[in-house]
Amino acid sequence: MKLSELKKFFVSASSAFVVPVLAVLLGMIVGAVVMIASGYNPLAGYSSLLYGAFGDPYYIGETIRQTTPYILAGLAVAFAFRTGLFNIGVEGQLIVGWLAAVWVGVSFELPKAIHLPLAILAAALAGALWAFIPGILKAYLRVHEVIITIMMNYIALHMTNAIIRSVLSEEGFKSKQVHESASLRSEFLESITYHSSVHYGIIIAIIGAVIMWFLLEKTTKGFELRAVGFNQHASQYAGMNVKANIILSMAISGAFAGIAGAMEGLGTFGNISVKAGFTGVGFDGIAVALIGGNNAFGILLSALLFGALKVGALEMPSSAGVPTELVDIIIALIIFFVASSYVIRLLLSRLKKGAE
Amino acid sequence: MSVYEVLQVIIPSAIFFAAPLIFTALGGVFSERSGVVNIGLEGLMIIGAFVSIVFNLTFADTFGALTPWLALLAAMIVGTIFSLLHAVASISFRADQVVSGVAINFLALGLSLFLVKKMYGKGQTNQIQIGFDKIDVPILSDIPVIGPLFFSNTYVPSYLAIILAFVAWYVIYKTPFGLRLRAVGEHPMAADTMGINVTKMRYIAVMISGALGGIGGAVYATIISRDFSHATISGHGFMALAAMIFGKWHPIGAMGAALFFGLAQSLSIVGKTIPFLKNVPTVYLLIAPYVLTILALAGFIGRAEAPKASGIPYIKGKR
Amino acid sequence: MKKRFGFALSLMLATGMLLSACGGQGGDNAGGKDTFSVAMVTDVGGIDDKSFNQSAWEGLQKFGKDNGMKKGRGGYDYLQSSSDADYATNLNKLVRSDFDVIYGIGYLMGDAVKEVAEQNPKKHFAIVDTVVDEPNVASITFKEHEGSFLVGVVAGLTTKTNKIGFIGGMEIPLIEKFESGFRAGVKAVNPNAKVEVQYAGAFDQADKGKAIASSMYASGIDVIYHAAGGTGNGVFSEAKDLKKKDPNREIWVIGVDKDQAPEGVVKVDGKTYNVTLTSMVKRVDVAVYDVAKRSKEGDFPGGKTLEYGLPENGVGIAPTQDNIKPEVLKAVDEWKQKIIKGEVKVPMTRKEYKQFEASLK
Repeated sequence: MKLSELKKFFVSASSAFVVPVLAVLLGMIVGAVVMIASGYNPLAGYSSLLYGAFGDPYYIGETIRQTTPYILAGLAVAFAFRTGLFNIGVEGQLIVGWLAAVWVGVSFELPKAIHLPLAILAAALAGALWAFIPGILKAYLRVHEVIITIMMNYIALHMTNAIIRSVLSEEGFKSKQVHESASLRSEFLESITYHSSVHYGIIIAIIGAVIMWFLLEKTTKGFELRAVGFNQHASQYAGMNVKANIILSMAISGAFAGIAGAMEGLGTFGNISVKAGFTGVGFDGIAVALIGGNNAFGILLSALLFGALKVGALEMPSSAGVPTELVDIIIALIIFFVASSYVIRLLLSRLKKGAE
Repeated sequence: MSVYEVLQVIIPSAIFFAAPLIFTALGGVFSERSGVVNIGLEGLMIIGAFVSIVFNLTFADTFGALTPWLALLAAMIVGTIFSLLHAVASISFRADQVVSGVAINFLALGLSLFLVKKMYGKGQTNQIQIGFDKIDVPILSDIPVIGPLFFSNTYVPSYLAIILAFVAWYVIYKTPFGLRLRAVGEHPMAADTMGINVTKMRYIAVMISGALGGIGGAVYATIISRDFSHATISGHGFMALAAMIFGKWHPIGAMGAALFFGLAQSLSIVGKTIPFLKNVPTVYLLIAPYVLTILALAGFIGRAEAPKASGIPYIKGKR
Repeated sequence: MKKRFGFALSLMLATGMLLSACGGQGGDNAGGKDTFSVAMVTDVGGIDDKSFNQSAWEGLQKFGKDNGMKKGRGGYDYLQSSSDADYATNLNKLVRSDFDVIYGIGYLMGDAVKEVAEQNPKKHFAIVDTVVDEPNVASITFKEHEGSFLVGVVAGLTTKTNKIGFIGGMEIPLIEKFESGFRAGVKAVNPNAKVEVQYAGAFDQADKGKAIASSMYASGIDVIYHAAGGTGNGVFSEAKDLKKKDPNREIWVIGVDKDQAPEGVVKVDGKTYNVTLTSMVKRVDVAVYDVAKRSKEGDFPGGKTLEYGLPENGVGIAPTQDNIKPEVLKAVDEWKQKIIKGEVKVPMTRKEYKQFEASLK
């Protein structure tokens, strides 16, 4: 590469770095203003946020643990988006995946090499099935997937609770613990992180990201799926089976979501309890996917951002006296600014022009 | 209970259940028809609920019976202002509209709960004393058969919601404003070349959705829960979104969808008392409304197309 | 898009490491610790959901005030969870802040408390509404069924239509305690009364609560007992609206967890009515205070299950009794004594209720 080309690359790359960093910083600055206006010390606030996320091995463990389902939920949403579908049903697919994983984990006694993958597979299948229904309705009847998936979320919630109550539990509100052979927990991981709940799921999540990238970018099927997402009519004209691709896409998206549920069931909790409401992971996954630019690597990082914010936020009330609600406000502001990176780029280019 | 008596319970129930959803769904229709996706309906409802309850608690002694109406007005105004955040982010800053909507939801919940704690020292407000009364519509409720079903034991805002749906229909389909709105949502570039200010139209549409979403939340809080806490608005914004899509982005359709949903919910509740269904496990009755909606969509409604330019920021000059 | 975030996050991580290295004001060992301190972790309701989280906090606050403690580390404090993944993290934070007794409020925290307790055998924990079998955990449970029996007595003796309703939130064993005890109380004093039971499926759907109440009141029910949290708001709003429309109609709501008399106030044409017949109060504040007091005195009830029922005033009917007729109050007292003496065994589950019903014949 010529020197001038190299220079150009660095200039564009650095401006590409600067923008999102600026966005996060802007969000934090406005958040600081809100904190000051409410009588809290923003420096104390933010340093406790960072400490609460990364300040010691326990917190790092918790952050990684929190990031794991976010990655998978983000992948689920992004996969659907890339293929032209809006999967707002990740919440429900996650719950049924959780149920399936725990069910397998509780019901059988098998060697770990079989039991664990089997449980995760069950979760993926459950999630895929749950997304298959809206997929097929969209493909054949052109029913909008947003509304079907919203309905499926509620159905999943009630149905899972009923199953836990009647089939899976002795106490009536939570299942037994999954057998050791199906658990993602590890004494080793816990020992190096002062008993955090971190588990091997993070590896699965990262593998999931690689799989999504590979599927979408490196296989013909992935190309087909993306093509259908770009332009259904053109793809049909080119001979692709649009209907089958829509269904496949939703199913794969659901599978990712189901595996996210498996992470919670086999790793974080080791069981499943009745839920009074949605976990929120599915909805957060939407933001994770979009902020991550709908691609696998971006999602890994935006999931980490979210995980860090959520875990770090727990430290703010005790260390800096900032109430948890204020933290939600700050997270919202950061999301706003990160999503508005265009205007930051605009400001930057104006500044650059002014300087010339 | 006879079938008629059962209907006398179900229909008023369905109406008050649907009213907040109708207002909010109509707001969604305006916004999305102009091309701005608005996932933040939940957040707008939360803000509306919060403002109406706080206003009511603060001014009940000053305004007496007029208070709940003024509270609705206050909720509408604040909802409009709050939606500007979404408008600025999505239209001027060209943020991804879905992310902006998600951020609105977080922000609304956090902000409202934070303010409740600051103002009242606890996480839940007191109950309001002056709400909307259950009424029998004069004259109309005396009509045999239909009267007791549709015009008794209901609330005035519920009727407002239904009337508003028709007004919205008229505005969107029969006025020049509505035509411009739809043009901006379907083909902003063409609209722009015709001299329509795309940005201004979209701002107005999003602000309308803020106003209506705020009213929806206010109606819910004033009639149904009578106080505000984190548990007040929980998923209702998303139900309104579903109603909007079910109604194919048409105001009357959205109203019909919300009413359908209210009816399905009431049916499942009354169903428990029918001897025949008494022994059906609760879970089936709990999921019945959602399953019914899916069946209705699959069987009768079918194809639903969002406005063509929905979700895409409009960039002047770009091809 | 990929590279941007890499840089962004490595920046964040670096800053984080730096700040935490300098600031380090995390949660461990700030200042000398020889004062007795207590703290609690709430579940997702938050400390002021007008039900047991708030009650527990009030208990801690009272304890703090009575013992000259300050809010914060070294005194009394709480941490709020926004999702169940936060329970263990919050409990661990309190462990690091060296609180002497750490409470987990709510049955959902059972697993988290068990785990953290196992990891920290020298620390003292308490759990409300379930039992955790560890030597360093005090399990606080309540006899909600006994309290519900008493309000059932009130309902059974007050109803004029002999039709009574029960609205539950989620169908979980805890709420079934309320249901079974209530039905037993009604049946014991009024064999002709029928109790209709319906579950809303959630604790935060006030519109469902209102719809169920509407259906129940329309079918002739005149007393509804709700154990449904935020969903119960809908029950109150329906009762109040009906009362406003027809002040002569006798309809009642029975509240739960706290004295819900304030929720039942309705003004019609200048007259003030109250639709709250009574409430089944659950004195979480008393229990929390009790355990804190015992711990301070060196008698931490580790490994024990403390059941707060009628004798300890852990459950009972609310102090606001304006709407209860004197003879009904007398009956309540008689039944209360019978239960305390053990002459009556109040059912806790639906199965036990069926046996109870059969035994009455």
